Amino acid sequence: MKYLIMLYGSQRDYDVMAGRPGDQPPMSPEQLAAMHVHMEAIHKELAETGELVDAQGLSAPVHARRVRLRAGAPVVTDGPYAETQEVLAGYTMVECASFDRATEIAARFVNPDAEGEYVDVRPVVDGIEELQG
Amino acid sequence: MPTGSVEDLLRPLAPQVLGALVRRYGHFDTAEDATQEALLTAATRWPADGLPEDPKAWLITVASRRLTDLLRAEQARRRREDGVAREAGRWVAPPADSVPDDADDSLVLLFLCCHPSLPPAGQIALTLRAVGGLSTAEVARAFLVPEATMTRRITRAKQRIRDSGLPFAPPAGAERAARLDAVLHVLYLIFNEGYASTAGERLHRPDLCAEAIRLARLLHRLTDDPEVAGLLALMLLTDARTPARAGPDGTLVPMAEQDRRCWRAGRIAEGTALVAATLPRGAVGPYQLQAAIAALHDEAPSVEATDWPQIVALYEMLLALHDNPVVRLNHAVAVAMADGPQAGLALLDALGADRRVADDHRRHAARAHLLELAGEPDAARVAYLAAARRSMNLAQQRYLHARAARLAG
Repeated sequence: MKYLIMLYGSQRDYDVMAGRPGDQPPMSPEQLAAMHVHMEAIHKELAETGELVDAQGLSAPVHARRVRLRAGAPVVTDGPYAETQEVLAGYTMVECASFDRATEIAARFVNPDAEGEYVDVRPVVDGIEELQG
Repeated sequence: MPTGSVEDLLRPLAPQVLGALVRRYGHFDTAEDATQEALLTAATRWPADGLPEDPKAWLITVASRRLTDLLRAEQARRRREDGVAREAGRWVAPPADSVPDDADDSLVLLFLCCHPSLPPAGQIALTLRAVGGLSTAEVARAFLVPEATMTRRITRAKQRIRDSGLPFAPPAGAERAARLDAVLHVLYLIFNEGYASTAGERLHRPDLCAEAIRLARLLHRLTDDPEVAGLLALMLLTDARTPARAGPDGTLVPMAEQDRRCWRAGRIAEGTALVAATLPRGAVGPYQLQAAIAALHDEAPSVEATDWPQIVALYEMLLALHDNPVVRLNHAVAVAMADGPQAGLALLDALGADRRVADDHRRHAARAHLLELAGEPDAARVAYLAAARRSMNLAQQRYLHARAARLAG
């Protein structure tokens, strides 16, 4: 069974990672390196157990484009998010034995030093028929 | 390492870095600013710290970070002004055959910067900055305008590109030829600006000529178009004569009196080889014809030994493509050299009826030369003075006055 573990971040979190001075103290290069090492270690382990399907990080929210239709024509808005809005920052897709196992993996993505941080785990549907209750 | 060589390294990287940013993130206008700032950072840091292992990657990283910063500031501002949504008729997939790479990006940037919706001054300034990697200050110096003026010019051009929502993709099909013509014209104007400024003290601004040649070489590498080869050849063959164009005191020396031993043999060899390789391919256009004429001049050991009948024939081909009064002036002089001054004077007098060129100092100067050749010094002197009165360029005025004074005897 496949599960998607979703990690969130706001533009402000990205700024902290980029070492930009702002309302919050920027991450030091050491802290950032430690974070990368931690993430790499988890993914390496998942690759070895055969549970890793895919993992990607997304660029800062400021680079997002929102596409809508207006009178049938696409209309594009650049960087539609507010500074503090939490949006998808990256994901890891795993294939594992159970929801509980996926949850166990997901717990390792939560930074224990960041008060209130969370990740979401969601089962991936096998096909459209699953959605037709 | 010396600053000069860092600049030589940075300029060719400028369009590659900008191309990488725009391709990945969009925002042509802001990405262009970010690229400039990254180039500036490199220009100050590299001479002191040495080159990074991968200069291009270093620049892309620094420019990307800067882009994020600039976008944040911009979007925060825009949000307060109520978000601006842009029409997206531009999300057309690029043609399937376009393979993204650096070279491709430089070409796409040239097409963007020379877009016909921009005024010529904006096209030129933006091309020099975005593709040439020159700073606004350098572009301003080259065109003898205040930096603030040039900044506004570049900003406006970039805003227009942003607002027109042009896709970051090379033009395809029928549009491509027209857009390539626009690019060629802009490079031609840059070269001309460097070669003969229409106003001001300095006769020659070598930086712009060198820059135009560098950009034309880039374009020649990226496209197989014979007119691109023609333009590059024309620039090389014209620039070859630069060392002989001005006397030690800065006075203008006309081609007939230039010391041909000072012409740059390397430039002539490269230019004539390009002409020889391109003309037989057919699809002959105005740049190739002008290059062929320049090659005949450059290969001749003297004015007398120049193949004037061939030059007359080439000018007539040019006129058949595009009837232009300045070409008619040159044609008249070539006819005079081939068939005697009276034949040329008749053509020049007929041109007096063409309002576009009747009062142009070049027509009067050409008349003066031919009258001198025809053995009419008094009429020649009057014509030289008439030409001097109409010229905007001080070096030209001094030259024309000197010619008139010589005949005052």
